[in-house]
Amino acid sequence: MIQDVLLELSTGFLKTIEIFFFTLLGALPLGLLISFGSMSKIKPIKAVVSCFVWIIRGTPLMLQLIVIYFGPGLLFGNNIWGNKMEGRFLAVLVAFIINYSCYFSEIYRGGIESIPIGQYEAGEVLGLSKSQIFFKIVLLQVVKRIVPPMGNEIITLIKDTSLARVIAVVEIIYAGERFIKSSGIIWPLFLTGVFYLVFCGIVTILLKRFEKRLSYFR
Amino acid sequence: MAFLEINNLHKSFGRHEVLKGISFSLEKGEVLSIIGSSGGGKTTLLRCLNFLEIPSQGTISVNGNTIFDAQNPLSENEIRKNRLHFGLVFQQFNLFPQYTVEGNISLAPKLLKKYSEEELKRKTDSLITRVGLTDKRDFYPHQLSGGQQQRVAIARTLAMEPDILCFDEPTSALDPELTGEVLSVIKSLKSKDNTMVIVTHEMDFAREVSDKIIFIDDGLIAEEGTPEEVFYNPKNERTKRFLSLSNL
Ligand SMILES: Nc1ncnc2c1ncn2[C@@H]1O[C@H](COP(=O)(O)OP(=O)(O)O)[C@@H](O)[C@H]1O
Ligand SMILES: [Mg+2]
Repeated sequence: MIQDVLLELSTGFLKTIEIFFFTLLGALPLGLLISFGSMSKIKPIKAVVSCFVWIIRGTPLMLQLIVIYFGPGLLFGNNIWGNKMEGRFLAVLVAFIINYSCYFSEIYRGGIESIPIGQYEAGEVLGLSKSQIFFKIVLLQVVKRIVPPMGNEIITLIKDTSLARVIAVVEIIYAGERFIKSSGIIWPLFLTGVFYLVFCGIVTILLKRFEKRLSYFR
Repeated sequence: MAFLEINNLHKSFGRHEVLKGISFSLEKGEVLSIIGSSGGGKTTLLRCLNFLEIPSQGTISVNGNTIFDAQNPLSENEIRKNRLHFGLVFQQFNLFPQYTVEGNISLAPKLLKKYSEEELKRKTDSLITRVGLTDKRDFYPHQLSGGQQQRVAIARTLAMEPDILCFDEPTSALDPELTGEVLSVIKSLKSKDNTMVIVTHEMDFAREVSDKIIFIDDGLIAEEGTPEEVFYNPKNERTKRFLSLSNL
């Protein structure tokens, strides 16, 4: 029995980790791109990007998952995701990456806009180029400022991965819950709780370490 | 032709004209102090010299070369090149917090490959000594007092060897007991090679260090002359009032 449970949970566990990891991989750079769009001096770009971010942040991820998975089929008669597991997993990643890159973009924007103009001007009068100023002066200061809010989002992402089940992607809670129906036992579900605690704990420690490494300057 | 020639410089922000035609010249090694009540356009003038603002009218020439003429706008690259004639020390220091004293001073010359590695090391060392911070070389800005930070900012500006050094109220953000150390560093820079333009409210200092004083009022030069002329024998009513208010 225990073996069955562990086997089942570990497949769910793997899916959860995959969703988490790939979402970060996509959303961290995409978020930076979106933040540039939302700060663009070109008004139409700024308006479109800001509106998009507003919609994504103002509606539940659950809703976005359902729309992204079922939308193409129902609206255009073209189910781009197919019926297989891989297709559904891909739909989950697309929804998560879009959602989280919008949240990240706001954090990047806040970080970039919080850097005093004097930092740019000091670089300029020394003859540095715009990209030298961004990469050698501004960037690390931005990173330092965004680690705490970014950390909060990342912890939320760990727990949000459980939403993948709404389009039947078997993440760890889904895997654990099956045992309620099949065997009438609830402890596998408790085990999933322990998994989340450990996962969040590890990520929190890593984030704190990173924060500490950047504490040599203010 | 003088070393630095500013001719009929204007600057407007929208419909608000802040500089209304500033002209002056300065010989190499001379120190010019700019005084005047706040809002008169002193900061804007320095920012124009350093191309943080682009003048709307006028010309700037250094050493006989016209480096700016409002009628022929410069490209971004030309601005980057030409602004190296000037250096600017800010009121708020604007040090880079993630770099040490040494890092702040050597960052720009390193990125712009101004010196060889050994030269840069020697240059940085001598600048650190010059501003009296040999024991602070590896400190970060937040570990320094305001006066020390401003001295680092001065060294950072000197590292690029500008032809003309500009200071915008370098001691205004400092506690009174810390202004002395910064002013004496600036004084020590006075030499035949360093041409300086200093915006300041420190009248005693200005009188002592300057070869020339300009009083700017509402975007125009209201009075100009040697320290003796401007401080002891002002002709303009507004200069008189300004000087009496700064209790000289
Ligand atoms: N970027 C700007 N946009 C609009 N107005 C400005 C700007 N910078 C300065 N000013 C205006 O120009 C005038 C002169 O300012 P400033 O050069 O800072 O004077 P000072 O340094 O002599 O106190 C002020 O009225 C100020 O409000
Ligand atoms: Mg000013």
